[in-house]
Amino acid sequence: MGSTWRIAWRNLGRSRKRTALACAAIALGQFAFLASAAIMHGYAEQYLRSVTGPLVGHIQAHAQGWREEQAVEKALEEVGDMLAAIRCQPQVLQASPRVYAPVLVALDREASMGMVVGIDPAVETGVGGLLYGVEVAELKTARRVWVGRGFARQQGIATGAELAVIGQDLDGSIASELYEVAGVIASPVEIVDRVGIVMAIDDARALLRLGEAAHEIIVHLRNPDAVAQMAVQLAALEELGAAEVKPWYEVVPQFAGIIELMDIYTLFILVIVFLAAAAGIANTMLMSVFERQRELGMLLALGCGPGRLAQIVAAEAICLGLLGVALGTALGLAFAGATADAGFDFVALAGEQSFEVGYQGLQISSRVFPILKTADVLEGVGAVLLTAFASCLWPLLHIARLEPMEAMRP
Amino acid sequence: MKPSALWIIIALCWAYTSHAQEAPAVEELLQRFDQLYESTGTHARLEIEIVRPNKTRTMRLQLWSKGPDKALIVVEAPVRDAGTATLKVDNNLWNYLPKIDRTIRVPPSLMMGAWMGSDLSNDDLVKESSYMEDYTATLKGAVLDPAGWQVDLAAKEGVAGLWQRIEVVFSQDRQLPVLSRYYDRKGRLARTMRLGQVEQIGGRLVPLEISIEPAREQGQRTLLRYVHIEFDIELDESLFSLAHLERRR
Repeated sequence: MGSTWRIAWRNLGRSRKRTALACAAIALGQFAFLASAAIMHGYAEQYLRSVTGPLVGHIQAHAQGWREEQAVEKALEEVGDMLAAIRCQPQVLQASPRVYAPVLVALDREASMGMVVGIDPAVETGVGGLLYGVEVAELKTARRVWVGRGFARQQGIATGAELAVIGQDLDGSIASELYEVAGVIASPVEIVDRVGIVMAIDDARALLRLGEAAHEIIVHLRNPDAVAQMAVQLAALEELGAAEVKPWYEVVPQFAGIIELMDIYTLFILVIVFLAAAAGIANTMLMSVFERQRELGMLLALGCGPGRLAQIVAAEAICLGLLGVALGTALGLAFAGATADAGFDFVALAGEQSFEVGYQGLQISSRVFPILKTADVLEGVGAVLLTAFASCLWPLLHIARLEPMEAMRP
Repeated sequence: MKPSALWIIIALCWAYTSHAQEAPAVEELLQRFDQLYESTGTHARLEIEIVRPNKTRTMRLQLWSKGPDKALIVVEAPVRDAGTATLKVDNNLWNYLPKIDRTIRVPPSLMMGAWMGSDLSNDDLVKESSYMEDYTATLKGAVLDPAGWQVDLAAKEGVAGLWQRIEVVFSQDRQLPVLSRYYDRKGRLARTMRLGQVEQIGGRLVPLEISIEPAREQGQRTLLRYVHIEFDIELDESLFSLAHLERRR
């Protein structure tokens, strides 16, 4: 068997240019596949992080009907008990209550539409929180608010300004209060950035006369893969009563669809690239077999069976494929390594300025951080081996039909 | 009975019924609808009952208006809302909020928003839109439930507003609006308004009770009652100024 591989390897060296070209084609295919898979994974991860990050979380709990109407009165009662029960679960990293209410916001007599976002500062400044990384010590002081950067810019709101916030309380009466602007925040969550008036949840509850209620509980898990199971587990908690508990992919199904679409796209690239590679390998092997027809005829005449010849040709194809895929994998790893930290920006490559777009309340950057998975490399190697084997079937069939006398005839 | 006398009676009956069913002019009906509570100076006291599935809230208001362009509404009760006032001058609407001592102009985009948590919109109170000007009216004919003349109003192109069309039924006898159905921009029935308890006040007939029921919210209703209303009284122009709105406190 060892001699088969040795002969196959030497045969590859007979026409080095052809071997190098075939190798380069396979390497390019593997590189293209790994690079596009890494970029797609990077985008998918970015989407997933944006979705399950500060805005949606992994699991959400609401009062029945809140998601449809978002009315102030559709609030979860006994939120303290609910939070305690949720936080007791070992899989839960954090659970945060939130209050939302559409309001009018005015610096003077002119008002514009805004959104009060009542949060627990102690929780939301932590990992996965709405204000992660923002220093909001002052938010803990009553009647101070943080204003989204986009909103502040549009309305000319500066730190220290006095804002009138007018809404509708739980009873339907006008709710009004004055707040001092403690600061302006740049948030990746579009609704916060564009119209957000972020305040301590106790202030929001006092404004809207909500008592201890909240409109939403956002749950972040230690292991995001356990979302489905944990959503069922949390919904069954007695403390949550009739609350509607939903995993993120049911809250924003359009994003789950986008991520699934990315996987399909990656598979599509894999098929296209390796169909092209198959054509390259088949061509090389066919040429190699036709060139050596007399030599093969001689070997058959000397008693070498067609099976042994087929083994040699198949080994050649596999060696060629492995050589190419090793080179392509090295290039793919180098690409992923070089771009993993700094990211990769198509827009910047085209000479334009990088951007962040808002979609369905989330901010998504044009810069992507490619992620290469071991499974991608293995898929690539597997596909090349399969391709190499499939593409040498034709040459093998040709060998099987060779008549020694016919083959040796000049 | 002699045949000639019978014919006279039949002819009289025909003349009476044909006169009773003669279709009124649409413009006349709409003008009446537009100017139902309007005068050179109107003052009214109202009670509003806001019914929700779990609670009912009652408010007491005072209203002054001058023509179609000026109105001032002040909430008197409940105590929590007392002093809250709404001023309308032309196309502008301001709310005075006593708790924070601020006056805020309501953005035009919120004109169709709910007023004080009721089923009334800001526009219902200050009536920025005009049925005559903003809608194309067609007399549909006589209807039975309720009995009267139905006029269909279709929003004119380019007119911003909540309603795609409105069906208004006018009573046959007094030619006053008794019911109107409001259809949203998707053509769905959004709310039904009923007007009742008609009384003669200041030489005109006015419905003193108006109920508004949203079509899609079960158990919700707003009932508005005029406790007192007087028309064509002298009102000072300064009543409808921001200075007065803020000075009232």
